[in-house]
Amino acid sequence: MLDILVLRGIIAVFLISAVSATVGSFSIFRGSTFFVSGIAHGALAGAALGIFIALTFFTVDYLVVALLFAILFALAIGYASHRNENVDVAVGIMFAVSMSLAVLFLSMIREYASVAWGLIIGDILLLSQADIEILVVSVTFIVLIFLIFFRKFLYVVFDSESAEASGLHVFRYETLLFILMAVGVVSLLKCVGAILVYALLIIPAAAARRAFPTVEGTIAGAFIIALVSGLFGIGMSFVVNVAPSSMAGLFAAGVYALTLFRK
Amino acid sequence: MPAISTENLTVQYGDYYALENLSVEIEHPSLVVIMGPNGAGKTTFLKALLGLITYSGKIRIFNKPPQEARELIGYLPQRDTINMNVPLRVKDVLLLPLTSRSLSIKKEYVSLAKQNLSRVGMAEHWNSKFGALSGGQQQRVLFARALMTNPKILILDEPFSATDVKTKMSLINMLHQLKKEMTILIVLHDINPMVECTDRVLLLNKKLIAYGQVSEVINEENMAKLYGTHIPVIQRGNVCYVMGGDRHA
Ligand SMILES: Nc1ncnc2c1ncn2[C@@H]1O[C@H](COP(=O)(O)OP(=O)(O)O)[C@@H](O)[C@H]1O
Ligand SMILES: [Mg+2]
Repeated sequence: MLDILVLRGIIAVFLISAVSATVGSFSIFRGSTFFVSGIAHGALAGAALGIFIALTFFTVDYLVVALLFAILFALAIGYASHRNENVDVAVGIMFAVSMSLAVLFLSMIREYASVAWGLIIGDILLLSQADIEILVVSVTFIVLIFLIFFRKFLYVVFDSESAEASGLHVFRYETLLFILMAVGVVSLLKCVGAILVYALLIIPAAAARRAFPTVEGTIAGAFIIALVSGLFGIGMSFVVNVAPSSMAGLFAAGVYALTLFRK
Repeated sequence: MPAISTENLTVQYGDYYALENLSVEIEHPSLVVIMGPNGAGKTTFLKALLGLITYSGKIRIFNKPPQEARELIGYLPQRDTINMNVPLRVKDVLLLPLTSRSLSIKKEYVSLAKQNLSRVGMAEHWNSKFGALSGGQQQRVLFARALMTNPKILILDEPFSATDVKTKMSLINMLHQLKKEMTILIVLHDINPMVECTDRVLLLNKKLIAYGQVSEVINEENMAKLYGTHIPVIQRGNVCYVMGGDRHA
């Protein structure tokens, strides 16, 4: 019989793949993949702050604080980009600010820092029932919003000037897209960790766009590559005793490498 | 009613004035060519008309401010504003302006898109990947896209910068047809192939240098004002040609 933790891990892989297909694909389309890794670190600072607040003031779920922090991060980047700042530069600056804050908060929570460190590595085979519930809610939210605004997002990302000229509120949709990216990243933190969020969000979509260069192909391909990578990671963790996310990340990178050799 | 009128239109980027006190009236329907050196504020002018940037002074599009007139305008941006990371098909490029407003793709959108694509001679590329087309083919697709909303005003920013001569001629033929019922604003560096279908020329270098018919506006004095150097112009009957070649340098 399947262990409940393994079952949760498998469910999580499916949900992560949906985030990869949506958030991951649009990060590739928008060319803002650095944003994803930046926001993962922003969330880390938020988690450390959350733990600090819980220890000294009142009880609060540190993932909620991480989410708020990541959304704040996303809004700041969205605003900077709206004011004509290069997104990569804005992310770089926020990245530095987040890491400084993360180090600051981590040093304030000393003995509990290990909880925050858990978010750096993550473990898909240690998810609680509550973790899965949070994941289901946030992934449903992400997918729903993408379904509703799919063609608006495409227009805004493809040709923001014409989209604006046609009356779409580009700033609003860009901000919404940034927020979805933030939610996606935070919901993955516990599963794959801040370091490897990039591996499972971005690499599948990057590989898929090379292998199936259409919008639908990228989205479907990203889902499948993320799914196979995740399941491979869990499977391998039984064969050799290593963290599943590391194997998943390497597998996804391998698929990407294969797409480079194609043609 | 004029299609477009501006009064003392001024646009600033920070403390840099890209446009100063521009006042023009553009009749409907008509074809207006906008000329000026790089950085003259041509794109800035178009963006102000589209309500994409903040400005001071007054703009009226069929008596409405730009923000309320958007559905009246079809726009072909300079090609460098487009994000090629999005692997769209040609049909999606055409359909986005309409379908981004609703949840479903309606049948009439599809037939309208096919119709516009064949008007620009790209019918066989319906399913092609936009990013895989040549620069000139992409411009033709974007041209077709600008027609998708049946606009009363067509704004084209350097539409021929990557097209071959044959494509350029067929697009100009189309403009000849379209200008019967539309007002067309077109930024060009080389007016010669279009002198015959141009109703007005607007010479712009931050300020309005001249505005009027080809034969009134295109002369060596105005070219010197516009480009700051001597550029020979030859007259042939009612039309004028700007000679920017080495034989005349
Ligand atoms: N967003 C912007 N911020 C600052 N300066 C700008 C911006 N857009 C254009 N400019 C400047 O305004 C001037 C006019 O630009 P533009 O209208 O694009 O010229 P044109 O289309 O005639 O070549 C140029 O000097 C350009 O550098
Ligand atoms: Mg320009």
